[in-house]
Amino acid sequence: MTPVLFYLLAGILLCSAICTVTLRNIVHAALFLGLALTSVAGLFAMLEADFLFSAQLLIYVGGIAVLILFVVLLSGRREDLHARQLNEQWLGVFLVCLVSCLALWKVYAAFSHGLPGTSPPSSTTQPLGKLLLTEYLVPFELISLILLAALLGAVYFTKSEP
Amino acid sequence: MSLTLYHYLSLGAVLFFIGVFGVLTRRNILSILMSVELMFNAANLNLVAFNRYLHPGPLLGQGLVLFTIAVAAAEIVVGLALLLAIYRKRDTVYVENFNLLKG
Repeated sequence: MTPVLFYLLAGILLCSAICTVTLRNIVHAALFLGLALTSVAGLFAMLEADFLFSAQLLIYVGGIAVLILFVVLLSGRREDLHARQLNEQWLGVFLVCLVSCLALWKVYAAFSHGLPGTSPPSSTTQPLGKLLLTEYLVPFELISLILLAALLGAVYFTKSEP
Repeated sequence: MSLTLYHYLSLGAVLFFIGVFGVLTRRNILSILMSVELMFNAANLNLVAFNRYLHPGPLLGQGLVLFTIAVAAAEIVVGLALLLAIYRKRDTVYVENFNLLKG
């Protein structure tokens, strides 16, 4: 049962990722990105990361994908639908990616018999909250600075010229 | 046959290189940002899989993924704001026209 679910999610993920990087219509590419992010959320659920599953759905699918879709609709033009979307180096890049991927695959063969720990599944929300306020306290405070900087930067860059 | 760490790592590698392919070949800056998001997700998948298989118990990997998600959100917000600013000035979204610094 579980392997079937994994292969199903992996198939959806890879197909929609390939559509995201190859489709000519950028609106469709953005929608396929949303599908890919959703299937990553499903894989998080399979890895017993229930808090990350909901965070992925809320932040990535509900926030980032929708934001990208907004900007696609703001900056798109009719003639973009017929313009070539890949540059001239695509064949070389494809071969480089293929070879690197196969190399990484060989390296990963060392991990082919790691089985998961046998702890019973439990909620991860409470341990994650404790972790954020003890061991990850300094990064947790720093990330608020990063978010503030991103907020200010976004407002500054998009404000229209006087 | 049961699932091992190998399955998740292979999936993460393929997803990462799909993202690399998109970053290096797409002409539209928006598609490049989308491909970067795919690469972030591949890294997150690897972190959660390592946490689950090699280091069960303390959720250090999952905590790290939370930070990655926050940084990715900040990155995409600033990236899209810059994109809109450039689009207003140059009236294009194709990266080969973004050559302001070339002189």
